[in-house]
Amino acid sequence: MRTKEKIRLATALFGALTVQSSLYANESNDRFVLVGYGDVKYENTDVANTSAFSARFVPIFLFSLNDKMHVEAELEVGLNEDGETETELEYADIHYFLNDNTTITAGKFLLPFGQFSANWHPSWINRSIWTPGIYGAHGSSQAMDPMLPILSDVGVAAQQVYQVGSAKVFFDVFMTNGPRSEAEHDEEEVVEDDHDIAFARLFSPTTTLDPDVDEDEHGEAFPEVEFEATSSDNNSNKAFGGRIAVAFLPSIEIGTSYYQGAYDEGGQLDIRANGIDINLISTHAILRGEYIRTETDAFVERDHEDVIDSFSRNGWFLQGTFFVGHLFEELGSTEIVIEHAQTKKVEEAERWMVGINYWLDPRSVIKVGYEDTDVADGPDDKRFAVQFSYGF
Amino acid sequence: MKHQSTINIFVLFTSLFASLHVHSSEPLSGAELINNNCARCHNSRPIQEFSMSEWKVIMPHMREKAHLTGTEVQAILKFMEIASTPVQAPKVLASVNNTVEPREVLTRYGCQGCHQVQGAGGTLGPSLDNIISEKGIAFFERKVKEPQFNNSASAMPKMPITDEEIAALVVFLSPQ
Ligand code: HEC
Ligand code: HEC
Repeated sequence: MRTKEKIRLATALFGALTVQSSLYANESNDRFVLVGYGDVKYENTDVANTSAFSARFVPIFLFSLNDKMHVEAELEVGLNEDGETETELEYADIHYFLNDNTTITAGKFLLPFGQFSANWHPSWINRSIWTPGIYGAHGSSQAMDPMLPILSDVGVAAQQVYQVGSAKVFFDVFMTNGPRSEAEHDEEEVVEDDHDIAFARLFSPTTTLDPDVDEDEHGEAFPEVEFEATSSDNNSNKAFGGRIAVAFLPSIEIGTSYYQGAYDEGGQLDIRANGIDINLISTHAILRGEYIRTETDAFVERDHEDVIDSFSRNGWFLQGTFFVGHLFEELGSTEIVIEHAQTKKVEEAERWMVGINYWLDPRSVIKVGYEDTDVADGPDDKRFAVQFSYGF
Repeated sequence: MKHQSTINIFVLFTSLFASLHVHSSEPLSGAELINNNCARCHNSRPIQEFSMSEWKVIMPHMREKAHLTGTEVQAILKFMEIASTPVQAPKVLASVNNTVEPREVLTRYGCQGCHQVQGAGGTLGPSLDNIISEKGIAFFERKVKEPQFNNSASAMPKMPITDEEIAALVVFLSPQ
C-alpha cells in the first residue's frame, strides 16, 4: 500500500521530468558558475572562557543543464576545534522549472520553513555574526536550546508563485526523511551531558517549575530529537511541511510555516512545528523576525502505562538593522544591528545582541558583535566576536 | 496511516499546483524587478560583478530563492544585458544624432526601476527630482558614470551611458 503510493508519486514526478527535459536540448554554453562565500571569525566566550579564530569556506556549484533544469550544490569546509577539516554537504539538489511559476526540487535542499534556513543563513547575508538561537548554532556552540535546529534535509519539494493584485503569494511544500530520536524513550535513556541532566532535572518532580510548563509528574526526560539530514530514514514516515507567504514588494514579506515528522523508530512520536516569519525592508532599516512553536510527543508513564503526551515549547527572535550611514554621510556603509531572542519552556533563555557592520562592498562585510544570553537554569553566556565575511 | 495521509497531502498539493495558472498583469521592467526583489534578502549585487554568461547560471538559483517566475527572470536578464552592454553597442550609437530624449534614457537604463522621477519609480535608490539642485551637476555626472565612487556598497549598476545621454538627463532633472 505505502510503497505503491510512493512509487506512484515517484513515477509521476520523474515521468514529467524526463518527458519535458528531452524537449529541451542543451542550447547554451552558459553552464557552470562557481560562487559561494567564506568567513573568518574571532570569538571570545566568557562562560567557556575561550577565545579562538575560526574560518570557513563555502563554495557553491551552479550548473544550468538547460532552460528547465538547474543543479546547485554547496559544500561547507571548516576547521573544527581539534584542527581537523570538516566538510559538510549543505545542499545538493536539482530544480526543475515545470512551468513559468512552478519549481520542483529534489535532493538535499534547504528547508523552506521560515526564512532563516533557506535565505538568511550565509554569513554575508545574516546581519548578525550568530545564528538566531531558535535555530541552533549551526556547527558551533550556543547557550540557547533551539526549537528547530535544521537547515537542510533530503527529499522533494515544490514551489509556486502567484500574483494576486499588488501582492505576491508564495507556496512551498516539502517531504523529507525527517528527524530521529537521539535516545529511545524507555527507561534505559542514558543521561550523558549537562544538557541532558538539565532536561531530566526539569522534568523531575523534585524541581520547582514554572507553573505553566507542561510538566510530567513522573520525571520523564524530555526527548532529544536529532535533525541532522541523512540519506536514510529511521521510520517509514516522512517529515512534511511547507510555507505560505504573502509579499508586497519591495518592502513586506510575511510567511507562515509548518513542519511535522515522526522521530522514533515506531513512527508514533511526532515533532510538530509552526512558524511565523516577517521581513520588512525600507530604505533606512530592515526588520526581520521569526516565531516558532513546537510540540514534541513523548511516552510518559500514567497509571503504570505508557501514554503519548506532547511537550510544547516556543521561541522567537527579532532583528533590526539600521543603515546609519544614510543619516550621517561620514559613516558610509555602516549599519547597526540589534537582536532580541527568547525561548520559552523547558530551557528558558533570553538574549540581546548588538552589532556594528561595515560594508566594504555589497558582499563583503566586517561585523563586530556582542551577545548576552540569560539562561534561566544555568550560567549566562556572554560573547564577543569579530567576523569578516565575503560572498563571491 | 499517518504516512498515507502525508503522501496524499503532498500529491494533492502538487496536483493542485500543476492545474492552476498565473494570469500575469502588466509585466514589470527588469530594473523594477531588481528593485523589488534583489535587496529583500541580501544587498543588491551590482550587475558588473558578473558577466552575462555567469548571470544566466546564477539567475535560476535566485529564481527559486526569490520566488520569481520564468518571465521575470527573462526580464531581469534583459535589463542586465542592456546595463552591461559596452558603449559602442549599436543601440547606444543610435542616440548620437544629438537629439537625445531624456525620457528614453531613463527608460533604456531603467533608472526609474530604482529611482522615483516625478513621483513614479522604484525606491531602492533615492528620488532624482532634486538631485541636481541638491548635489550639483558634477556629482550627478560622476555618480552615473561611477556609481560606487562614494558608496562602496551601492547596488546601482555601472552602465554604458554616454556623455550626451548624461547631459540630457542633467537638463531634464535641473530645476526649470
Ligand atoms: C529570498 C531571498 C533572496 C532573494 C529575494 C534574492 N537572493 Fe540572491 N541570494 C540569496 C541567498 C541565500 C544567496 C546565497 C546562496 C546560497 O547560500 O545558497 C544568494 C546569493 C546571490 C548571489 C551570489 C551568487 C550565488 O548564486 O550564490 C548573487 C549574485 C545574487 N544572490 C543575486 C541576486 C539577485 C540579482 C536577486 C534579485 C533577482 C536576488 N539575488 C534575490 C537569497 C536571495
Ligand atoms: C538597479 C537599481 C538602480 C538603477 C537601475 C539605477 N540606480 Fe541610481 N542608485 C541606486 C541606488 C541603490 C542608489 C543609492 C545608493 C548609492 O548612493 O549609490 C543610487 C544612487 C543614485 C544617485 C545618487 C543619489 C544621491 O542622492 O546620492 C544618482 C544621481 C543616481 N543613482 C542616478 C541614476 C541614474 C541617472 C540612473 C539611470 C541612468 C540610475 N541611477 C539607475 C540604484 C539604481
